[in-house]
Amino acid sequence: MDEREIRLRQSRRRLFLKTAIGTGIGLSLVSAFYVGASLRPKAEVTPEKEPLKPGDILVYAQGGGEPKPIRLEELKPGDPFVLAYPMDPKTKVVKSGEAKNTVLVARYLPEELSPEVAQHAIEGAVAYSAVCTHLGCIISQWVAEKKAGLCPCHGGVYDLAHGAKVVAGPPPRPVPQLPLKVEDGVLVAAGEFLGEVGVKAESGFCRHV
Amino acid sequence: MYKWLDERLDLTGLYQKVLRKAFPVHHSFFLGEITLFAFIVLVLTGIFLTLNYEPSIREVKLPDGRAVPAAYGSVLYIDSLPFGAVIRSLHHWSAHVMIAAAFLHMLRILLSGAYKKPRELNYLVGLGLLGLAVVTAFTGYALPYDNYAVTATRIGYGIANSIPWIGGALAQVMFGGEFPGSEKSIPRLFSLHVLWLPLLLMGLIGLHLVIMIKQKHTQPRYAERIAPGKILGVPMYPQQMVMMLILFALYVGIMAMIAGAFLAHPIEAFGPPTPNTPAVKPDWYFLWIYGILQLIPSSWEFRLFGATIGPEFIGGAVVPGILAVVGLLLPFVDTRKDKMRYMELPSEHPVRTSAVLALLVFFLMASLAGYKIDFQQQGYLLGNTAVLWTLVLGAPLLTFFLTYVLMRIFYGEKEKKALE
Repeated sequence: MDEREIRLRQSRRRLFLKTAIGTGIGLSLVSAFYVGASLRPKAEVTPEKEPLKPGDILVYAQGGGEPKPIRLEELKPGDPFVLAYPMDPKTKVVKSGEAKNTVLVARYLPEELSPEVAQHAIEGAVAYSAVCTHLGCIISQWVAEKKAGLCPCHGGVYDLAHGAKVVAGPPPRPVPQLPLKVEDGVLVAAGEFLGEVGVKAESGFCRHV
Repeated sequence: MYKWLDERLDLTGLYQKVLRKAFPVHHSFFLGEITLFAFIVLVLTGIFLTLNYEPSIREVKLPDGRAVPAAYGSVLYIDSLPFGAVIRSLHHWSAHVMIAAAFLHMLRILLSGAYKKPRELNYLVGLGLLGLAVVTAFTGYALPYDNYAVTATRIGYGIANSIPWIGGALAQVMFGGEFPGSEKSIPRLFSLHVLWLPLLLMGLIGLHLVIMIKQKHTQPRYAERIAPGKILGVPMYPQQMVMMLILFALYVGIMAMIAGAFLAHPIEAFGPPTPNTPAVKPDWYFLWIYGILQLIPSSWEFRLFGATIGPEFIGGAVVPGILAVVGLLLPFVDTRKDKMRYMELPSEHPVRTSAVLALLVFFLMASLAGYKIDFQQQGYLLGNTAVLWTLVLGAPLLTFFLTYVLMRIFYGEKEKKALE
C-alpha cells in the first residue's frame, strides 16, 4: 500500500461521500417500500361482495337466470346437497362476488344428525360453508354411500351429518355450520357461520379503505 | 454490401470472436437448444394471443346470449379466428415442451457433472430459469378464466397463502387480491405473464448464453481421446447455425402438427367458472406436488412464532423447497477437482447417478399419488394412503441401492482394469 492510498483511506472526504451515498440509497429503498406496499390491492366491498348476514335468503348458486330461493320441500333427505349464495332480503342482491359466501345445504332425516348439528338445523336441513379448509376449493361433490361432501381438489371428505367432521383427505378442520330457519317456506340464515370460513384468517392482510 | 457494413460495424471481428465459437457435437447437447426454440415459439404465439385477449373479468354478452367473463369470451374469440385455436394450442404445448426440455437439460448436467467449478454460476442461472419457467407457466394458467383454470389457480393461491408470515402478502401481490374474487387478479396475472416474467426470462437466458460462450461448453468424452487438451466442435457459423435452423424448423413443424391434432385446454368444454368445482388435475410438472398434498394428513399442523405451519405449506412449499436448496448447494458440496473440462460418464459416478435416478423415481411415485382419488374410486390398492407412502419413500430408496449395486457389478470391473 503506497502512501497515497493510505492517505485516501484516512481521508474524511471519502468517508463523508460514502456515508452520503449509503444514506441516500437506504432512504430511497425505504420510500420504495412505501410505494411497493400499493402492490397489495385495496379491498373494495361492493354489494355483491358483502359478507353473509343473519336474515339473508339462500338462493340456488347454479342454474342462472333469476335468483331462485331454496324451498325446504325441494330438498329430499339423502339427495345430493345443493350449493347456495346468500341474497340480501331487502335489496335482492345475490352476494355471489365473494367465494367465501358459498354455502352448501343438505337434508338428512332428523334422527341421522348429531345433537349439536341438529340444534342449528331445521327439519333435517343443514347448511355449512362450502369453502374447503384445505386450499379453498368449493366442496361440490356428493358421496352417496357415505352421505358426505367431497372436495374434488384434494379429496377432502366432510361428514355433514356430524358437524362436517373430516373423514378423509387433508383438510385441517371441519367447515363451519350455518344456522338455518325457515321463513315463508324458504331457507334463511339464522345467524353467522359458527366458525371461521375458508383456509385461515386473511383479513389482517388486506388494507381496508 | 458486406464491405460497407464491415467497415462500419467490424463484422469480421464479430465473426472471429463469436461466430467461430466451437460447438461440441453430441446428441444430449440439443436439449438446451430445444428449450430455447420452445421459448421463441412461446414469444411469437404469445404476441398473437395478447393482441386478441382481454384481461378482465367484467361480464360480457356473447353473440349467443350467454353472459361470461370478458377474458373467457376473448379466448373463445381467439379460438374462432382462422388458426386461432391452433396457435393457442401451440402456445400451450410449447410451454409443456419448454419445461420438459429444460428439466431433461438439467438432468444431463447433473448426470455428467457439468455443474462443477467453474460452471457453478451458470448452473445456478439454469436452475433459476427452470423455476422461473414454471412460475411463468403457472401465471398463464388462469388467463382463459374457464372453470378448470380458475380451480387450478385457486389451489396455487391457497398454497402461496399458506406460507407462514409472508404468504398472505405474497399471494396478495402476485394474484392482485383474493383469487378468485378480486377484479384485479386477471390484470395482475396478465401483466406478470406477458411482460415482466418473460422479460426476466429473456434476461436470464441471455446471461446463460453469454456465460456459456465465455466459459465454453463442457467437452464430450470422445474429445479427450481424440485431441486431449484441445477444444473440439463445429463452428457456430455456418455448420452449427444450419443444424440449429433445421432443428428449429423440425420443432415448429412437429409441434404445429401436435397442436393442431390435439387441441390443448378446450375452454368451451370446461365452461365459464361456476361454484361447481370440477375434479381438476394440475399440469404434469405440478402433479408430484399435488400428489404429496394428497398424502400429507391434516394432523401435520403446528404453530411457530405466531404463524400456522399447515399440511399445505409442508406439501406445497417445504418439500419442493428442500429439493431446491439441495440443488442450489450441489456444486458447492461436490467440489472434486477432476474432469472440469470434460463431461463425466454417468457410469463412473455410481452414487451421483443412482441419486439422480432415485430423484426421478420419487417424482414419478409422487405423481402417481396425484391419482389417489381416482384409484380410490376404482377400488384399486393404490388408493390406500399407506401403500402410496411406501411407494413414494420406498421406491426411490430401492432404486438408489439397486442402481448402485448394479453399477458396481457392471462398471466396477472396468474401473479396476482401467486403474491397472
